[in-house]
Amino acid sequence: MTLDIILQAAIGGLLMGLIYALVAAGLSLIFGLMDVVNFAHGELMMIAMYAAFVLWQVSGLDPLLLLPIVVVLMFGLGMGVYRGLIARALSVRFNRGMVQIFVTFGLAIFIRGAAQFCFGGEFRSITTGVVANRTAEIAGVFLPLPQVAASLVCLAAFAGLLLISRTEFGHALEATREDRDAVALIGIDRDRIFALGWGLGAAAVGIAGVMLATFYYVSPNVGANFAITAYVTVALGGFGSLGGALVAGLLIGEVEALTALVLEPSLKQVGMFVIYLAVVLFRPRGLFGTL
Amino acid sequence: MKRRELLLSAGAVAMAGSAVGRAEAADEIVIGAIYPMTGNAAPIGADAKVSLEMTAEIINGSHPPIPTLMGQGGGLPALGGAKIRIVIADHQNDPQKARAEAERLITQDKVPVLIGSYTSATAATISQVAERYEVPYLSMDNSSPSLSARGLKWFFRTSPHDEMFTVAMFEFFRDIGKKTGRPVKTVALIYEDSIFGTDSSNVQRSLAQKAGIKVVADIKYRGNSPSLSTEAQRLKAANADVLMPSSYTNDAILMLRAMNEIGYHPRAIMAQAAGFQEQDFITASGPLAEGVLSRSSFAVDAVKARPAIPAVNGAYRAKNGKDLNDNTARQVTGLQVLADAINRAGSAKPDAIRQALVAANVPGEQLIVPWKGVHFDATGQNVLATPVIQQITNGTYRTVYPFELASLDAMWNVGG
Repeated sequence: MTLDIILQAAIGGLLMGLIYALVAAGLSLIFGLMDVVNFAHGELMMIAMYAAFVLWQVSGLDPLLLLPIVVVLMFGLGMGVYRGLIARALSVRFNRGMVQIFVTFGLAIFIRGAAQFCFGGEFRSITTGVVANRTAEIAGVFLPLPQVAASLVCLAAFAGLLLISRTEFGHALEATREDRDAVALIGIDRDRIFALGWGLGAAAVGIAGVMLATFYYVSPNVGANFAITAYVTVALGGFGSLGGALVAGLLIGEVEALTALVLEPSLKQVGMFVIYLAVVLFRPRGLFGTL
Repeated sequence: MKRRELLLSAGAVAMAGSAVGRAEAADEIVIGAIYPMTGNAAPIGADAKVSLEMTAEIINGSHPPIPTLMGQGGGLPALGGAKIRIVIADHQNDPQKARAEAERLITQDKVPVLIGSYTSATAATISQVAERYEVPYLSMDNSSPSLSARGLKWFFRTSPHDEMFTVAMFEFFRDIGKKTGRPVKTVALIYEDSIFGTDSSNVQRSLAQKAGIKVVADIKYRGNSPSLSTEAQRLKAANADVLMPSSYTNDAILMLRAMNEIGYHPRAIMAQAAGFQEQDFITASGPLAEGVLSRSSFAVDAVKARPAIPAVNGAYRAKNGKDLNDNTARQVTGLQVLADAINRAGSAKPDAIRQALVAANVPGEQLIVPWKGVHFDATGQNVLATPVIQQITNGTYRTVYPFELASLDAMWNVGG
């Protein structure tokens, strides 16, 4: 095994890891804010991928140009999901935890079924665009441009999320996370903060979805391939921690790529789950978790 | 009390109604088809539904005779023109769900025969249920050799299995090597981690050894992975003459892209069909798919040898907007063979159907697939199923081997 193979695998892991990180960021944000695990997170990503695919097919524009439109749509969808479903689920008196789980789980199954109903089960692909199927070679190392573009956008999205956390709204988010009852006393509309949090979470996974759609197939079940990784990433990084999601995503991307290099690739998730178990056993709050 | 009486009499009426319904249904033979209608293999199930219903229409309907098995229309003559009807069940590519659906079809829908199921992992459980209830299970498109190696009495398979398919691949390697003077010296195996991929790779490994071809990479990967870039990296490092993948559609799409991303373009790819035969794969891969070789049990371009292809393919095209392929043509053929067996049995009893299948001896000319015919051996395997090798040329699969069936010379870059 030569050095350039290891380097190439490491780069593959890095590029994929940034996508994992952004998918996990949305999940972590929502969980940190209100203790709701969104089991439909992968399906939200799938919706963004289909949105990008449909807009691309109708307009013929580069998917990168369509990104802002999808992000706005996803933000609205996230708020809608909160107001229509989650807020109601939070208002029940008994077994609130179970109700939340079943509501988001049911939502996931519904979205998947609806996607199959609308689009069929076919595997769709976005086949044009500035970066589509292009790759750059630098000193024997190949950089697939769609993944490079996706990584840059993911980094920018993380920077954006960090900036937002420095604004007044970000402080309100933080305060609501700390003590959801106390914030009402100082005039913060908790319900509005939650809705905006959901919007942000959906927008984050929407960005990941659109960028993923430039090189990955789109199908009703595509979310499931990424959801498990996202849950592990969130647990590893620490619930509610943005920086944790970033570090954990990169770590998991690398572990996965390098495991596939040394072990039989069918076992490549072993490394990831070993880390997960270790975290659960020895540091249940995750690397950077505060909860 | 009155309320209970009312309910009882309503129940009696309902039962009388269902008895009448069942008497009428004697003119109808219901066949239980188990396919993936949801989940990652759903497109295959959707196509199977169309191809099976289209075939049932050909068998049942009134139309000018088509020169193929049961192509005369008008139902099953030996059963007074009884019609066949397909009920579809969804196994979601989950062996446990396949088991439950097989049981439901047999015990509740009372179907006398089961068909299906595309993925070999689900065929394994369906065939166990069929064996237990003594109902024939005709596998149409499952290719794992192990399915017919378990001594089951009620299992039949019209399609070639992966051993037969793989024999054809290595015969092609041998013959194209002789023809061009550029033989295959090394192969790389990459296969998904369910029964289909592992069985396929076992056969490929042993046949390669027999043919004196070196296996330079042997990679089992996780199906439905978010990324196959490290796998592609290992294939690139092995740099075999021929890459031999066994993958379903989504992985096939991802694999070709992942190889392209790291600048790896194999000299030849010989696919164990499955995902590589699907239109979604060809559309998604575009120019990357050009030149991909695949085994197939169907050749839409072998019209000279099989004159019924235009009529049957036309009927399918009218419903689904695409040509019959390796999978759908095998479903058509399987249902034809089954309808013929039920007709010869003169009965819709499971045991009679089984005996008629055992006695089946269909000449190849009566099929739409380019096989020598249909005749089952003691394991239930059709021994006359002979596959072809095809190559993607300008976005469609063209037959390149056996040379006498070929509509085009193979594009061959090995050793070039």
